[in-house]
Amino acid sequence: MKLGRYAAAAAIGALCAAPAMAADKTLTISVYAFAQDEFKELVYDPFEEICGCELVVETGNSVERMSKIEANKENPVIDMAVMSVHDALALSRKGLLQKIDTSKLSNYGDLFDIAKDPLGNGEAVGYTVYATSIVYRADKVDIQSWADLLDPELAGYVSLPDITTNQGPGTLWMIGKAIGDDDLSLEGPMKLVGEKADDIATFYLRSSQLAQLVQQEEVWAAPVGRFAWSRFRDNGLDMKWAEPEEGQFGDMNVMIMPAGIPAENAELALQFMDFWLSHDIQLALAEALIDSPVNDTVEVSAEAAEGLTVGADLINSLVFMDPGVILDNRDAWLETWNSTVVR
Amino acid sequence: MFENKTTGLLLVLPAAVFASVLFLLPVGILLSEGFAGSEGGFSLGAYVEFFSSELNNTVFWRSLRLGLWVMLTSAVIGYAAAFSIVQLSPKSRGRVFALIILPLMISPVARTYAWLVILGRTGLVNQVIVGLGLSEEGLQLLFTETAVFIGLLQLFLPLMIIALISSMENMPRDVVPAARVLGANWFSVFFRVILPLTREGLVVGGTLVFAGSITAYITPAILGGSKVLMLETLLYQRVTVANDYAAASVIAMILVVMSIVTNLLLKRLAKPRNRRA
Amino acid sequence: MKPSSTATGTIIGLTLVFLIGPFIVIILAALTAGNNLAFPPDGLSLKWFIKVFTVESFRISFFISMFLAVFGTLTALIVGVPAAYAIARYDIPGAGAIQLAVSSPLIVPGIIVGLALLRYLVIPTGFTIMAALFLAHAALILPYAVRVVTSSLQNLRVDVEEAALILGCSRLGSFFRVVFPNIRGGILAAFILGFVTSFNQVPVSLFLSGPGVRTLPIDMLAYMETTYDPSVAALACLLAIMSVGIVFLAERFLGFSRYV
Repeated sequence: MKLGRYAAAAAIGALCAAPAMAADKTLTISVYAFAQDEFKELVYDPFEEICGCELVVETGNSVERMSKIEANKENPVIDMAVMSVHDALALSRKGLLQKIDTSKLSNYGDLFDIAKDPLGNGEAVGYTVYATSIVYRADKVDIQSWADLLDPELAGYVSLPDITTNQGPGTLWMIGKAIGDDDLSLEGPMKLVGEKADDIATFYLRSSQLAQLVQQEEVWAAPVGRFAWSRFRDNGLDMKWAEPEEGQFGDMNVMIMPAGIPAENAELALQFMDFWLSHDIQLALAEALIDSPVNDTVEVSAEAAEGLTVGADLINSLVFMDPGVILDNRDAWLETWNSTVVR
Repeated sequence: MFENKTTGLLLVLPAAVFASVLFLLPVGILLSEGFAGSEGGFSLGAYVEFFSSELNNTVFWRSLRLGLWVMLTSAVIGYAAAFSIVQLSPKSRGRVFALIILPLMISPVARTYAWLVILGRTGLVNQVIVGLGLSEEGLQLLFTETAVFIGLLQLFLPLMIIALISSMENMPRDVVPAARVLGANWFSVFFRVILPLTREGLVVGGTLVFAGSITAYITPAILGGSKVLMLETLLYQRVTVANDYAAASVIAMILVVMSIVTNLLLKRLAKPRNRRA
Repeated sequence: MKPSSTATGTIIGLTLVFLIGPFIVIILAALTAGNNLAFPPDGLSLKWFIKVFTVESFRISFFISMFLAVFGTLTALIVGVPAAYAIARYDIPGAGAIQLAVSSPLIVPGIIVGLALLRYLVIPTGFTIMAALFLAHAALILPYAVRVVTSSLQNLRVDVEEAALILGCSRLGSFFRVVFPNIRGGILAAFILGFVTSFNQVPVSLFLSGPGVRTLPIDMLAYMETTYDPSVAALACLLAIMSVGIVFLAERFLGFSRYV
């Protein structure tokens, strides 16, 4: 019952102590809930060993964590977070981020150019790039275009990402391109999706939720980020990764540091970022089929490459949405979505 | 009854302070936020805006509708079940009663999770439907209002049954047999004898089920998803996705008002001697 | 002229199948030897039950939930028992308002409580999430504690206490020597009810989660969203067994259902 005593003590401690821990150094990070067991083994535990500090991990999806950082701005509880580029940009515009001192990141020089300064103001560094396309049951349907998602053949068996997810706007944009309406208001594709709303099983919020729906044969096809592909590929069903004629779209996740955290924590956060960007860790995460690397020195095995988004050719072929555009349109999209799609 | 009022007040003070400072105060501030205008002062703007959205209206009416359906269905099943249970011998009645309250003691996460397995496209219900040849392939049951309805019904039916059993136990023993002997059919026995005598239980159970259904979170979150939003899931979405505290405050007010109204109705309709309120 | 026992038996049976059946399904689904939640299970094994114990976040959140349930309930009782005693024994001015305040946590939906505490307690005052969770859980249990203990006090005749007072006991002495032993069952029932309510509570804790601090049900929801393997089903079973065990023992020794 040692653990029990420890946890109870920790609980009591958390209850009584002021937010600043008197004990050892603590780094609090906020990350995607995805693949946490692997992250713990490959990243967190080794880092705790190196820094002699305690790593506290909070999880959730990008937008939830972004709201939390904003809510706690007077009293930041997170030292370092990872999120989508546009969520980072939203925080940056509100002045809630601080500049990342890249001179302290020994691996910075090895990064792909697109990852070095995605916001253009030094407040974020990319750590993974990924493609988004459609996974589908090859024994049930054939997907050649983003428009095929709305094919009657798939009625009731297709899931789309909710507008609030990282994949949501991109998906609609690609559907728009397929029907010849790539206006960034996304009104055209949303109207179409709205008309077909009854044929869509659900609008998913997390790719992991989708993995289960596909497994349960609730869903045959859905747009999904490449980082999740391995979970579909190995599920025992006849799964394929589509290469639609309109192309696949790209997205990046970045690391940020909230403004106003103690200098000591900032130091630790930089050390952690550098560790995460290092050759070994980027390689380990890639080989575990979790995150595609942005470190140019990493050469993944052919087997792992199959599950990831690697290689300059592929990355250059991706269609990226400008984070500023996403941000400027986000409220309008949500409104249109609420009035035309979910009603 | 003791006379010393000061002692009484002192005894009740900690609880009253605890509840009002830690509880009513923050909730009160949250609710008042919905009435703040954009430049301060009092305004109903947030309410006007909330109800001008088609989605919000849909969610509002859906929550009300599902709440009523769950309440009515649980009343129908509840009467049949409670009446049957009251006929049992005291010993087996106790056992069945324990089984009925058992689900109330189990985590709602677990209770809702089970329906994912049962209602899925390849789940139990669809296996039966396909097996009986009623449909070629499994039907989509998850992420529909039906799924939310079933989940809520299972969650709250025990409350209705318990309320009805306790008021049936207070019913004079011989009235039903007497009415039957006098030639009344079951239909009129129910409407002219049982219903009037168990009104209290029905009201208590009904309000608990209704209030529970409209304020449930997990069931609509897991079984409804983003296509079947209810008031609580909408509130969560507004806060986490849009930082829209005005809408959150409006929804909070709707939920609190509904809870209070059902509670008041309950007190008015049921006589005070029933302690279950 | 009773209704036929076949008919009543069928009705009871069907109701119980609807209420209890899902648990049997989930227990069997959790016993699967396969990697996915499915019914009927794909072979039988205990591997998912074993997996539950290896997930660190479950262990941590289990202890957090335990801590909240035990200490939240104790706090609610410490505040609630005197209040219950006052309500049952004294004629307090403004009793209605006080009772309303004390029972308000029953009326306000939990999700609002969580959000309100996060916005107006945690953020402005720097209260920790853990402290807010603790207070919220204690407040939530308070109405149950007051209600159950009040009703068991009302069943206890006042003249027993008066006799003790006449025989020279102090008021406090008479409470501990005469009243307390007689309402012990009620207090224990309130404790169990509070414990189970707190342990299974979701909406209040929904907004009150922070780095490393999460109650078990919230952790289960989060886990379900990321990893849909049968271990959540297995954990749900274990928790169900725990709750049922507690209630069974309580029913056995206290006649718990009298108090619910």
